[in-house]
Amino acid sequence: MKGTAAHIVRTLLLSLITLFGVSILIFLMLRVLPGDPARVLAGLNASEEQVARLRAELGLDESLLAQYWSFITGVLTGDLGTSARTSAPVASEIGVRLPATLILAVVATIIGTIAGVTAGVVAAVRRNSIVDHVISSVAMMGVSMPVYWLGLLLILLFAVTLGWLPAAGSGEPLSIVLPAVTLAAFSTALISRMTRASMLEVLGQDYVRTAEAKGAPPTTVIIRHGLRNAFIPILTVISLQFGALLGGAVLTETVFGWPGIGRLLVDSIGARDFAVVQGIVLVYAAAFILLNVIVDVLYVVVDPRIRY
Amino acid sequence: MAAAVALGLLLSACSVSDPEAPAADGEGGGDATFSIAVGIDPDTFDPAGQTTTTVSNIVDYVVETLVRINDEGEIEGVLADSYEVSEDGLTITFELREGVTFHDGTPFDAEAVVYNFERITDPELTVPQGAAFTAFESATAVDENTVEISLSQPSPGFVSALSATVAGMISPTSVDAEGNSYQEYTRPVGTGPYEFGEYTAGESVTVTKYDDYWGEEPYYETVVFRVVPEAATRESLLLAGQVDMIILPPVSDIEALQANDDVEVLLAESDRTIFIALDNTDPVMQDPRVRQALNYAVDKQAIIDNVLFGAAQELDAPMAPSLFGYCETGTYDYDPERARQLLEEAGAVGASIELLTPSGRYVQDAQAAEAIAGYLREAGLDVTVSTSDFPSFLARVNAPVTENTPEAHLLGWAPAYLDADFQMQMFRQATHPPAGLGTSFYTNPEVEALLAQADVETDPDTREQLYCDASQIIWDDAPWIFLWTQSFPIVYDADITGVGATPVEKFDAMYARPAN
Repeated sequence: MKGTAAHIVRTLLLSLITLFGVSILIFLMLRVLPGDPARVLAGLNASEEQVARLRAELGLDESLLAQYWSFITGVLTGDLGTSARTSAPVASEIGVRLPATLILAVVATIIGTIAGVTAGVVAAVRRNSIVDHVISSVAMMGVSMPVYWLGLLLILLFAVTLGWLPAAGSGEPLSIVLPAVTLAAFSTALISRMTRASMLEVLGQDYVRTAEAKGAPPTTVIIRHGLRNAFIPILTVISLQFGALLGGAVLTETVFGWPGIGRLLVDSIGARDFAVVQGIVLVYAAAFILLNVIVDVLYVVVDPRIRY
Repeated sequence: MAAAVALGLLLSACSVSDPEAPAADGEGGGDATFSIAVGIDPDTFDPAGQTTTTVSNIVDYVVETLVRINDEGEIEGVLADSYEVSEDGLTITFELREGVTFHDGTPFDAEAVVYNFERITDPELTVPQGAAFTAFESATAVDENTVEISLSQPSPGFVSALSATVAGMISPTSVDAEGNSYQEYTRPVGTGPYEFGEYTAGESVTVTKYDDYWGEEPYYETVVFRVVPEAATRESLLLAGQVDMIILPPVSDIEALQANDDVEVLLAESDRTIFIALDNTDPVMQDPRVRQALNYAVDKQAIIDNVLFGAAQELDAPMAPSLFGYCETGTYDYDPERARQLLEEAGAVGASIELLTPSGRYVQDAQAAEAIAGYLREAGLDVTVSTSDFPSFLARVNAPVTENTPEAHLLGWAPAYLDADFQMQMFRQATHPPAGLGTSFYTNPEVEALLAQADVETDPDTREQLYCDASQIIWDDAPWIFLWTQSFPIVYDADITGVGATPVEKFDAMYARPAN
């Protein structure tokens, strides 16, 4: 376990360097984009003097180096800056919206994991049967279906035609169902395909045949001997998917009017609100990195053979 | 996906016993709620900080202005009982409505008005639409209910400009109240029929009825503005009975909505003109015959019918009819023969033109640009259409002329108050980019002279005539391809009455109520 601890510390240190790199990249990328934030924020009707004043107020008339310096020193002291669009601190803007995105991603991951692993195991056990083919084709559809289209379709069916669920917003508990299912569609499909492949490999192993020969009940064979051993690659997919879901929430949040950071990111890019975009991207980067560390630790838990 | 849908079915099956209650029951106004789905998440509730009509529309429930412009296009008092402009046009005296208090109990009086004037003209404060108030010099409280405004020069549009939300009156004491500061004013306290309630970022804004309102009492106790960026989702919310009213449905669905008995569609006229600004400094475009040819080449009505699904009115002047100073100026009927002939005369056949358009900023903007490009190609021009997101678009069209300046670009312009003065900025040398958005780089000394005269003319009839004359010259010069004023579609539950619109692209649902 000592090796594992050292590994984690090393990973975290590397992560800090990565984050630093991300901060430079996103800072430069935003500045390369055409579009004067002051002009956008001041509105079409503003006069040139007002735009110039706003530019000075936002510190956009300083050199790139000076701007980056004030950005990065701010970040190091926990200050992500001020939103040009709303004048609110970026940290609180993100803080208000982040929980909604996290909840959505977590629920979607749970849905995707349960549905995907179940479908994958069933497909593997019944390989080459009708069930397997149906699951595989539906999974194919799930991977290739645009989120926008699926979301609107679900709204049409469950909110407008059947009237069972709220069409948009996050005002009541049931509001999460449609966006979470929409968001989960892609990862469900991916996880089921991964599970099927991984299970097929494991099910052909000697120890599974031994377990079967010993007369262990089929469920025990499939879950304890099969799934447990097949789980490492599945776990990787699930964790990567969780990260992707955080990002994929951008579209889902727009379709469903869900008040998360995905939409905040889109609004902020549209307004060239540099501080907020930088803040959100840093949060995303940090989340991805943290996720990788967690998965590293989980590997050890799931598979005691793994040592770092 | 099947698993996902199955799960959705399962989860939703559990909810059958808990159907979404309709937003408005219509059983007595007591605790009824009216909910409206809008597309934009508010950036600021400070009246002075307004840049979008949707957000201003929300602020209007809470904050009132001194005057408004009524359906006949006349200025009428709201918080001002009356006003008088001195002979020389340099002093405006307002008599204020008596017995009005702000929601926090602060009396609405001359001092409060002076405070507000000083705030919106304070160079320390960012007031995006403050350009209208540059003539302001000082405000004085003559007595409790009389305010005198001094101007540095006559400014005939000044009083009209006071009808915009930017000039809304906020309680001076509220600026230091909890949650607010002078620079960051986030919880507006005004004199309106509703008090500011709650804002959940990205989700909704709630306002509640103010019991001591001086004017007519609205019906609904609470009004909720729900933020739903996707047009199709807004439409679904309305059709599912989860909101009472929406703005800007997908235009392609307007016909279907009109055929639906459960909802009413209001295609309100707006003051937003949509046009193709032509680069008047371009070697080819410099020739007025070329610009006129482009106007003749495009079948605007066909595009309105087929691309905008009827949600627009063809322009017959360089401004919307709702503006003071508008007069019907002319038409450029679809005449491909004439277009071709003019292009040949000017030696412009085969000229290559880049047509730049935003995408999604205005109703069917990129689609309309494609259609227009088609017509221009038929007339014998080599047209390429390019598009980009709005900030990048703005950066390009708002730059001084270079080789990179597109020969043509589609743009919309909506005056914040209904005066030709605001529209005519587009045709003055003083607003050539980067100083302003006169992106066609159009200059005509005659027009400049007429507009300079109108700037300081205090007699309304003379002023109107000056704008009319200028419009005629501009129309003939054709610095733009004049397109249309886009409609502002509002769709609401057929069981509701009292929904209307203002000519500045805002909905008017303050006094909405159940039909029976």
